[in-house]
Amino acid sequence: MDSTTTHVAAGAKAQTRRKSSKPYLYLLPHLVIFTIFFLVPLVFGIYVSFTKWDLVRTPRFVGLQNYQTILFSNSTFHTQLVEGLRNTLWFVLISVPFCILVPLLLAVALNAKPKFGKFFQGLFYLPSLFSISAVVIVWTLIFNPNYGPLNSLFHLNQVWTGTQPWAWMTIVIVTIWWTIGGNMIIYQAALNGIPKDYYEAADIDGASSWEKFLHITLPSIRGQFLYTLVTTTIAQFNIYGQPLMMTNGGPNGSTSVLMMYIQQNAFGAGQSLAGLASAMAVVLGVCILIVSMIQFYFLRRDY
Amino acid sequence: MRRLRSLVLALATILLAFVAVGCTSSRAQSDSKTIVFWNPFTGPDGTSMQKLVNEYNATKPEYPVKNISLTEGDMYAKIPTIVNSGRGIPDLQIVHVERIKDYVHNGILDTYDQYLSNYPNIKSSNYVQEAWNGGSYEGHRYGIPLDIHTFVMYYNKDLVAKYCPEALDDNIVTFDEIKAAGEKAKKDGITALGLTWWKPNYLSMLGQQGGELTKNGVDPTLNTEPAKNTLNFYKSLYAAGITSRDGQDPMQLFLTGKEIFHPEGIWMVNQIRESKIKFGLTNAPQVSADPKKMVNWSSSHQFVLLKQAKRNTAKTKATLKFINWVRTHSIHWAEAGQNPASQAITKNKAYQKMGQSFLLKSKTEQESLRIFDYRYNGYVADFLDRYALDPVFGKTSIEKYLKDMQSTVQDKIDAQITD
Repeated sequence: MDSTTTHVAAGAKAQTRRKSSKPYLYLLPHLVIFTIFFLVPLVFGIYVSFTKWDLVRTPRFVGLQNYQTILFSNSTFHTQLVEGLRNTLWFVLISVPFCILVPLLLAVALNAKPKFGKFFQGLFYLPSLFSISAVVIVWTLIFNPNYGPLNSLFHLNQVWTGTQPWAWMTIVIVTIWWTIGGNMIIYQAALNGIPKDYYEAADIDGASSWEKFLHITLPSIRGQFLYTLVTTTIAQFNIYGQPLMMTNGGPNGSTSVLMMYIQQNAFGAGQSLAGLASAMAVVLGVCILIVSMIQFYFLRRDY
Repeated sequence: MRRLRSLVLALATILLAFVAVGCTSSRAQSDSKTIVFWNPFTGPDGTSMQKLVNEYNATKPEYPVKNISLTEGDMYAKIPTIVNSGRGIPDLQIVHVERIKDYVHNGILDTYDQYLSNYPNIKSSNYVQEAWNGGSYEGHRYGIPLDIHTFVMYYNKDLVAKYCPEALDDNIVTFDEIKAAGEKAKKDGITALGLTWWKPNYLSMLGQQGGELTKNGVDPTLNTEPAKNTLNFYKSLYAAGITSRDGQDPMQLFLTGKEIFHPEGIWMVNQIRESKIKFGLTNAPQVSADPKKMVNWSSSHQFVLLKQAKRNTAKTKATLKFINWVRTHSIHWAEAGQNPASQAITKNKAYQKMGQSFLLKSKTEQESLRIFDYRYNGYVADFLDRYALDPVFGKTSIEKYLKDMQSTVQDKIDAQITD
């Protein structure tokens, strides 16, 4: 190999290297923020779960003691974990189907390009832009037993947020209303991407609208469906603001979700129990991971 | 390539800006001649505090005060973090008195001990006893009281005249008087008593029943006879149908003239004043008409010094100068509906006309002010605020509620990192 060839080869190599480093440079801003605000806290949070910590002194390493306490002892924290997880799971189970179905149906309806479609699209998307506090304040007024429009309209005397199953119902309704927008936009984009020929071919074969929805629409948006299912499930596992502000975890702790216990243990009015709270958060994280993996497994087949 | 370079430049600038911000905030507070003062006064009381600070700064002190009001939750979340980081620690801080003991054990506070000799007027006899006592722990002074704020009872003057004109003869409204008024008012759809913020109502009654949060200052005594009596008492009141109902907003009832008595904090006076209701203030409802047995739940905002590794002595002295100045100028604080803890205020003519001044008027009244101070009070407060009136509304049993409260607080104490 003469010197020129070597030089050219080295140059080409350098160029490839430069080329390949370029994407990383573009990723850098996100990577920096991701590392500072996500990766570091995540690793630190997992570390804290193996310690006793009051947020002030140096964390003291205690091994698996926090996990032993929350998983196997008969202390308050074990009860908190079990009840918190049970309430959270219950909420996920009843809210996720609605948070998927309602936006999907709305997206299908909007996809038929009805009159004032854009107006309704904006209307349905609007709640997603509000903060949860504003949303809850509005709905608390609606559900107010004394002067709320719901009770006065139907001449009822119901304490919506203070008795079950109504307390859950109010939380779920607020959650659906608040989260319609995000998923709806994703489904709309997906529906727009389905070639019209499929439907035309189905029409020629004499398929009903239901059959078209089942055999063309749904399979075509499978990827987006999986994505929204996973993100929605994760979001609902992290439920916090709605029960905190609407029911304060009541009646009798029945809507106290795990995030509320985690928050109170770490940032309550007394000395912080950040280690135990972190351990609970890790358990919650593992639960979310497992559920997401199961969802992936079932929906990724032949995709 | 040029685009790449500008991208790198932009990134570098952002990073530099971050570093610069970090440097200035850590340097500014230890060396500058400004006393950075954090407090949780974000409501109308925030305006009053700002007035007070402005007035002090108008005296051209060597160290002017910079008033920073944060929402209470954020402020309490920030305190351990900033003390831990050692950066951006304010020079003066307001906390609720019930936090002090816990903070001392966490190493969050510095004492005033070595500075007090320069300010002989910052002493016990110049402050309301209960508030002053709360600021000291294990022989050291950690807090100097700004105020003592009490959970009292508002009453609708028209409704009192209609249903129980004698109830206020002695300025003590007993539960018997409330019940009698409630029985009369029921047919008109008027509620006698609002079931308001549970924690002070519960603790006030617990005190009247002879209960305490702790006997030895360490172990919680929450599942006791007095605690049972307290819950049974409220349960029977609720069953009698003379209180506000589950789900009702007692404040709304009071403001619309549908409630006779409304236990609430003196700090809420401005909100109630905005309505058209003719109202008065009296002691919290009592079981006994004997003034010596009276209990009025109170808390106190205290000036504290958050721990600083290198405390600037001259600045700390200037901080005490400000606290001492507030002691004799707290009328603005009283305008926010609060009761300043300084005895000097009781001689102020304008103050004497204020509704809440009755609480400091006499020795008996001052002695009725009770701060439920306990090192682990925060855990008790968390429980009471979360589960609130559940046993009174019949959503859980009294036995389970008290058992859970005792075990929750005890388990949290056991799980703490020890000294």
